[in-house]
Amino acid sequence: MNGRIMQSAKQKVIVEGLWHNNPVFRQVLGICSTLAVTNLVLNTVVMCVALIFTLSLSAASVSVLRKLTPRNIRMMVETLIIAFYVIIVDVLLKAYWPEMSSNLGPYVGLIITNCIVMGRCEAYGNSNPPSLAFLDGLFNALGYSFVLLIIATFREVLGMGTFLGFSVPYFSGPNWDKWIVMVMPPGAFFMLAVVTWIFRSVQSRKEQS
Amino acid sequence: MIKEKKWFPVIYMFLVTALLSSIVIGFTQFTSNRVEANRKLAFEKAVLAVLPGLSDEKEKATGLQLHLRFAEKVNEPDDYSAGAYTLIGSGKIIAYALPISGRGFWAPIKGIIGIEADRKTITAIAFYQQNETPGLGAEITKPEFRDQFKGKVMRMGEKLLSFERPGTKLDKNSVHALTGATQTSTRLETIINDALKKWQQQLGDGLDRN
Amino acid sequence: MNIETEMSQAFVVCISAIFTQNILLSYFLGLCPFIGVSREIKTAFGLGLAVIFVMTSTSLLNWLAYHYVLEPLGLHFFRFILFIIIIAAFVQFIEMVIDRYSPTLYQNLGVFLPLITVNCAILGASLFMVIRDYSFIVTIGYGLGSGIGWFLAIIAMAGIRQRLSNERIPQGLQGAGITLIIAGIMALAFIGFTGVLQ
Repeated sequence: MNGRIMQSAKQKVIVEGLWHNNPVFRQVLGICSTLAVTNLVLNTVVMCVALIFTLSLSAASVSVLRKLTPRNIRMMVETLIIAFYVIIVDVLLKAYWPEMSSNLGPYVGLIITNCIVMGRCEAYGNSNPPSLAFLDGLFNALGYSFVLLIIATFREVLGMGTFLGFSVPYFSGPNWDKWIVMVMPPGAFFMLAVVTWIFRSVQSRKEQS
Repeated sequence: MIKEKKWFPVIYMFLVTALLSSIVIGFTQFTSNRVEANRKLAFEKAVLAVLPGLSDEKEKATGLQLHLRFAEKVNEPDDYSAGAYTLIGSGKIIAYALPISGRGFWAPIKGIIGIEADRKTITAIAFYQQNETPGLGAEITKPEFRDQFKGKVMRMGEKLLSFERPGTKLDKNSVHALTGATQTSTRLETIINDALKKWQQQLGDGLDRN
Repeated sequence: MNIETEMSQAFVVCISAIFTQNILLSYFLGLCPFIGVSREIKTAFGLGLAVIFVMTSTSLLNWLAYHYVLEPLGLHFFRFILFIIIIAAFVQFIEMVIDRYSPTLYQNLGVFLPLITVNCAILGASLFMVIRDYSFIVTIGYGLGSGIGWFLAIIAMAGIRQRLSNERIPQGLQGAGITLIIAGIMALAFIGFTGVLQ
């Protein structure tokens, strides 16, 4: 690809991943592994960092191997590559940040079946050069992260009165009755629904104007 | 073309798996010492937390200091302590630290429960492994929940310690369960009671033996 | 443990996997197809049945693989890779079998099978089976129960969404938004089952 085409392809990837084709409120993919940890902002941050690492590197790796991999086993190979990066993250956490590893529990391992990771590898990694695949993975993961962080902020502040573990002035005081439902699974669903609603409405209004 | 041979997918799969696996194994080996050390330290920290006078929530001891303190002050379980670690002073047992474990909501919960020399009063409880829902079940590790156990007494009968609904009145044999974390609370109650009952039984057998 | 206690434990585990510890509504697994494929009862029914079948079978296959291959070799952390390979291979195999023996069934069901490979509930069930150290018989109950629980949830969701198909829903909420709200209400409802089994 020549320089000009490459440049605009890169821009396209960035804008798509972050906004137009956002994994969370547009594609609605990859929700499982992160919804359960969004009740604390800190855990969400770690989880998102793990996802950024895994998605961008997996997409790039799949892309590097795309000309060699036989068509009929490509999903298994993609899964192997994703599992590889996830295990590395899991092992690193266990060794260097054990408390966080136990907080994230089974969810780090479940990034392997996270539909977004598999989805982007299949949809983009298989048919584009490594540098673009890496960017696509990176910006999809960033688009995913910022939405999840918004959800986590609301859940932690409304449900526990803290942010990143620190007490928030009004919400941790006696005048605020903590919304326990925000800390539990239903709260995650409702928050995600509201966020999806808001972002989609903004998007369609922008498209109409 | 080599790609179209029937056996190519199998060989390819095998090669990719072998390559990735060896890197993973290498990584795991490289960090396994650390992981093991972390695990051991978590266990020792929990034991120190329940034995009176051996740890202070506010102090910032290093891992090494804690490890040394454990080696120096804590005694391994023997026939007379029925599986519990002990703190001994002036030739007598001051307190017991009993490991407890069992199934939580997500994964096994493992902790240590401290009991005074009278074998009935609880000193404290600490956890060294749990994977419960952050903000809900995982709150068992927070002081707000754990502090409830200080000074509680095991009752005679079926349920030695009970978990009551938040908001209800407590007596000296009960603590409040966690709001919104019913599953974890129920399981923890079972884990604690099973472990304490078994311990008392084994202790009784041990005493009979003298 | 003798056979009788194992079977009664398997039964309890099965019932709790359907109601009080529903793999979708309590553990959040298998959400993507749940939100994406729950528009009509017919498709949800097909996918749900396929999930029950695959979940039960792969839990058992993974049990065998874990206890007879990984454990003796001390390669516990390999379970992520091995389980996924077994699930993917099993689904691929089933796809071939169905295609060969019943093209009509393949037409209806075949499109779901690749979706099942990435259904995190399938891998999740196997991982839980390992963490909780279930025996073979109990795993039958667990795999079956988790599958039925997932099936129940997606059928209920499809039923509700079909009912809502004639209602006026704000544009931003259509599709994923309203589905998530329904899921939240269902999750709340299922919490009510918690005290049923001790």
